[in-house]
Amino acid sequence: MDDPVADLITKCAAGDRAAFRTLYRVSSAKLMGVLLRMLRERAEAEDALQEVYTRVWLRAGRYDPAKGRGMSWLIAITRNLAIDRLRARPEAHSDDGLDSVQDATPRAETRLVAQSEARRMADCFGTLDPDKAEAVRGAYLNGLSYLDLAARHAVPLNTMRTWLRRSLLKLKECLDA
Amino acid sequence: MTDTAFTPREAEDALAAEYVLGVLDAAERAEVEARIRRDPAFAARVAEWEGRLSGLNDGFAEAPAPNLLPKIEARLFPKPVAARRFGLFGWLSGAAVATALSLVTVAILAPPRPMPVATLATADNRLAYRVTHFGGSLQVNRVAGVPAVPGQVHELWVIAPGAAPVSLGLLQDRPLVVSYPVPPAGFVLAVSIEPEGGSPTGAPTGPVILTAEIGA
Repeated sequence: MDDPVADLITKCAAGDRAAFRTLYRVSSAKLMGVLLRMLRERAEAEDALQEVYTRVWLRAGRYDPAKGRGMSWLIAITRNLAIDRLRARPEAHSDDGLDSVQDATPRAETRLVAQSEARRMADCFGTLDPDKAEAVRGAYLNGLSYLDLAARHAVPLNTMRTWLRRSLLKLKECLDA
Repeated sequence: MTDTAFTPREAEDALAAEYVLGVLDAAERAEVEARIRRDPAFAARVAEWEGRLSGLNDGFAEAPAPNLLPKIEARLFPKPVAARRFGLFGWLSGAAVATALSLVTVAILAPPRPMPVATLATADNRLAYRVTHFGGSLQVNRVAGVPAVPGQVHELWVIAPGAAPVSLGLLQDRPLVVSYPVPPAGFVLAVSIEPEGGSPTGAPTGPVILTAEIGA
């Protein structure tokens, strides 16, 4: 399948700095979107974006186009960095801004249906209880921890963990079918 | 609610999923990351989950990013500070010297303290370089031994985990000062022997004679 982002990452692995600049041009808006949504602070998102592209250049040799799309690889690096930063924050963080972020989810869901891979995802999410599907989405898109999820859903942390683990395994069964 | 036991295989898979989802706390994440590094089968499960959940990526809206490329490139492809400073003095007009002198004074009043980063040394300590971090730069001093023989030069490299080496500069008679952040734990510093002028390819071509892992 045609994947220009994957080609650019492969060129970065060979030390092609021009390809790195092009990669920044074509992918930075998406990765900035990921960081703004998860970190919810522009200054930190911009700082994290520099770190993301530093890692992308240094790790480009480990990207294997056979194992996934280039953009998915970039987003995995970005999410991992954002989650590490979120977990390093002092525990008592406010939920400020989270509710408005959550409101954006249904619209995102509509966009999901546009692609077949994503439609499959939406179908499989449909097999989960709605509140559990929302917990999985909330964790993936907003970087919520078990602690955050337990507080939001007003259940003990261990209960949340058991719920989520079951939901994830159910999701896998559906997606791999 | 009663907890139905998961099979070991299910529990492993759930852990990989929890890691990709990002719900674990910092300590649990660190444990899983250590496991990913030493257990390829587990790492493959994590990669599978990244693929499975990537269908959610459309949920991230794009947001225009400022052009941070100059900063990123300055970090990845550092230029030796000494050369830049030389250029700066050539450019300064007489009128600007006073300003420069006052800046120097400020720098003297509030000197940044050097922080030890690593020491690269042979087992018998006959050749050793000490690396410190100092005011946004790495400074590399030879504390034992001599420079490479004529026609050759010692070149310093930084290697991120799993990545290709990136040159930080040449180690000659004077200490090397290079604008670079503090390398995180797990990064490796290495010195190789290269032809005069440095590696012609951008990657180490000669023998690597010294290495040190940050935080090891």
